[in-house]
Amino acid sequence: MTISRKCVPFTPFDRELARSTIAIVTAGGVHLKDQKPFNTADELGDLGYREIPPDVDSADLMVSHHHYDHADADEDINVVFPIDVLRDLHTEGFIGGIATRHIGYMGYTQQLKAMYEGTAPEIANDIDKGSRADAVVLTGG
Amino acid sequence: MKGVPTVLITVSPEVSAQMRPPRALYPKGFKVGNSLGRPGMRDLQKKVLRDALNLLTQNTRPGDFIAIEYPEYGEQYEPPRVKKL
Repeated sequence: MTISRKCVPFTPFDRELARSTIAIVTAGGVHLKDQKPFNTADELGDLGYREIPPDVDSADLMVSHHHYDHADADEDINVVFPIDVLRDLHTEGFIGGIATRHIGYMGYTQQLKAMYEGTAPEIANDIDKGSRADAVVLTGG
Repeated sequence: MKGVPTVLITVSPEVSAQMRPPRALYPKGFKVGNSLGRPGMRDLQKKVLRDALNLLTQNTRPGDFIAIEYPEYGEQYEPPRVKKL
C-alpha cells in the first residue's frame, strides 16, 4: 500500500450544524446483539462491517473487539458509539438530524490493503448512498 | 462519490495521525476505550461531541488534530505511541 505523505482527503463542510444530519462510523467493534459478532479469533482481523439503524436502542448494542479494553463501552456504549449523545444534541437543536444508517467495524486488521481498498470505500459508499448524512463522526476504541 | 465530511475523535493521536485524518479531536488524557469520556458522564460526552462537530465548521489544518482538555474526566492517561520499527 502506498500512501501519499502530502495528500489529505479533505471534503469541505459548508453547512450549518443545526441543519445537518450526522452519522457515526466507529472502529470500536460495535454491533447489534443479534448481528454476527466480529471474528476475534482470527489474528488477521475481520474485514466486515455492520449497519446500525437510527432508531436502535443503545441497550441492544455490544462490542466484539479484542484489541482494547471495552469494559466501559459494555457499561455505556456511548463512550465509543455516542448514539444517545447525538440524540441529545438533536433534541437541543445543535444538529439537524440523525442519519438513517450508522456503521460499526472492528478497527484492527493485519490486512491493511484489503481494509484500505475494500472495506473503507464500501463503508464510505454505504454512508454516502444510504445514510443521508451531511457529515460523519468517526470514533475508535 | 463526492466524499463525505468527517471528523475523528481519537484517543491515540499519534497512531491516528499516520492516516492523516481531515479533522480530528484528541480529548487529552482520555484512555483507549473512552473516546467520549467515562460511562454515564453524559454532560462530558455531549461536550466532547459538540467540540468534535464544531471542528467541521472551523478552519482546521487537514491532517492535524486539535487537543482539548476536559478536567472533569478525572485521572489522565498517556496515549499509545507509534512503535518504532
